[in-house]
Amino acid sequence: MGVVPASDAPIGEIPGRSTGYRATKLLVYTLLVALALLYFVPFFWSISTSLKTIPESVQGFDLIPNNPTIDAYREVLTEFNFARYAANSAFMATSVTLLNLFLCSIGGYAFARLRFPGREALFILVLATLMIPDQLRFVPVFQILSDFPHTSWNLDFPPVHYNLIGTYQGFILINAVLATNLFLMRQYFLTIPKDFEEAAKLDGAGYFKTYWRVMLPLAGPALAAVTILTFQGMWNDFFWSLVILQDPDHYSLTVGLSSFIGQYKTLWPQLMAASVISIIPIALLFIAAQRYFIAGVTAAGVKG
Amino acid sequence: MAIAVAEKRRDSLGSAKVREALVGYAFVILPIAFFFLFFIFPMVYAIYISRYDWGVLGPIDSVGFQNYRDLYHDELFRRALRNILVYTAFVVPAQMALGLLAAVIVNQKIHGRPFFRAAFYFPSLASSAAIVAIFIYLLNADGLVNSILGTNITFFADSDTALPSIMALNVWTTSGTMMLFYLAALQSIPPDVYEAAAIDGSSPWRTFWKITFPLLKPGHFFVLVVSIIGCLKVFDQMYIVSGGTGGPNYSTLTVVLYMYQTAISDLQWGYAATIGVALFAVIFVFTLVQRLLFGRPEIS
Repeated sequence: MGVVPASDAPIGEIPGRSTGYRATKLLVYTLLVALALLYFVPFFWSISTSLKTIPESVQGFDLIPNNPTIDAYREVLTEFNFARYAANSAFMATSVTLLNLFLCSIGGYAFARLRFPGREALFILVLATLMIPDQLRFVPVFQILSDFPHTSWNLDFPPVHYNLIGTYQGFILINAVLATNLFLMRQYFLTIPKDFEEAAKLDGAGYFKTYWRVMLPLAGPALAAVTILTFQGMWNDFFWSLVILQDPDHYSLTVGLSSFIGQYKTLWPQLMAASVISIIPIALLFIAAQRYFIAGVTAAGVKG
Repeated sequence: MAIAVAEKRRDSLGSAKVREALVGYAFVILPIAFFFLFFIFPMVYAIYISRYDWGVLGPIDSVGFQNYRDLYHDELFRRALRNILVYTAFVVPAQMALGLLAAVIVNQKIHGRPFFRAAFYFPSLASSAAIVAIFIYLLNADGLVNSILGTNITFFADSDTALPSIMALNVWTTSGTMMLFYLAALQSIPPDVYEAAAIDGSSPWRTFWKITFPLLKPGHFFVLVVSIIGCLKVFDQMYIVSGGTGGPNYSTLTVVLYMYQTAISDLQWGYAATIGVALFAVIFVFTLVQRLLFGRPEIS
């Protein structure tokens, strides 16, 4: 399954323009609209409530607020510190994405094109970890990070060691190379014809230059898929940010939301505003790059 | 002379190969180092830690397989395991059916296909925390759902309704992803199959059940595997809904949540590692059975 934007052509369309055609068409559209409403309505209400005042939010369920106000957003961002949480999430998601783009593309290129002993074995090892639940890493990774890089053994080397629990670095390090991304990049490089590299070789380009100047520009769709999947995954991550970033200054948006729910459950406009704030960047990313999104999710397969 | 040239060429070929291999290692060393340190090594380390009484600062005492024996008799672990199995049994078929329905509809020649596809996928974009927040609002005792039903149910606060409510919200959230997988599988079915069915005068309904559905077999198994694994690992929604307790009355306790509590609250890291290994074993058995029954899951 290559990382190419999904075609819009309906291939598996069911023909049968005969008797039941109009009835089928009607049924399909009715189902579609009903389903689409089912999927969208909760978001409509959360946006609507986020624009209400607290008294109005508990009075009724009018979809259109009487006096729309952005006070809830202002309060959430300043008083409840969500501006900080959003900045934390943005910083971590961006760092992890950039690291994955570089490390997985260069690794993926080597796995696809350079021959070296042990290549297949190493790659199978990478693939095998896709089968293992991420949470199995929880205890060992926590131990590794809490005394990095000693991992709780009484070694004298290296002489310096750090407690990376509660730091952005800890979160970024453990996500710097994700197996799905390595897999995606390798698969995409395999589909690029060898002519390009041979031409580069004739021009006297070295391996790194070939990777950087020739192969990377050709891998646009795969890089887009990696960017989108990784950024979304990290922006939405809950488990690892909960485990590693336990103090309020380092909270991610999702952990901030969870803690807000625990403390101020019934401040509905504020809660909905915080949710909308966490959804907006991903929604915009989706609107801007829907095709790559869908191609990426389909190609990466194992998600969540 | 000719021999010398040939030898020189072989030498340069040989050194080119060595060079390529060296460059290959240089290119993979960093990604593989990260990978070993944070994925491969931790998997092995988890098993090592699980055989210790391990505090927050490191190993206290080697206990052999005692953690595993304790786990076997642990009522809370059994409760958590039962919860995720029940959860999986309901959520997997529901999200597969909904995903397939959405995929089949979106795959028709209809107006606004990209819009509808985006609509169904939209909930999968949002973070679990945002989704739970929205559902806590919609499902609260004075919320929209209760006002429509004319009831006063405290969905997330009652031990009979808490888990089913989370099931419903997760079916709603992830069925869009399942739809994408099914769409890819649908589009890999060759169109001439449908042409043949049309020539035979098969009705759309019949065509779907007799042709499309069986031909989707690889798609079904792929979605099944992804869906089951996702369900067995469920954590976020339960944590947020119950404030990390797994309540009310342990009705939302999952295996990952229990592992989290054991480590972070009880500081029993060895026992937490044991729970992680047990979860891995459960998932591994599920995956293995599926592979033995249906072969390697692939989308197309």
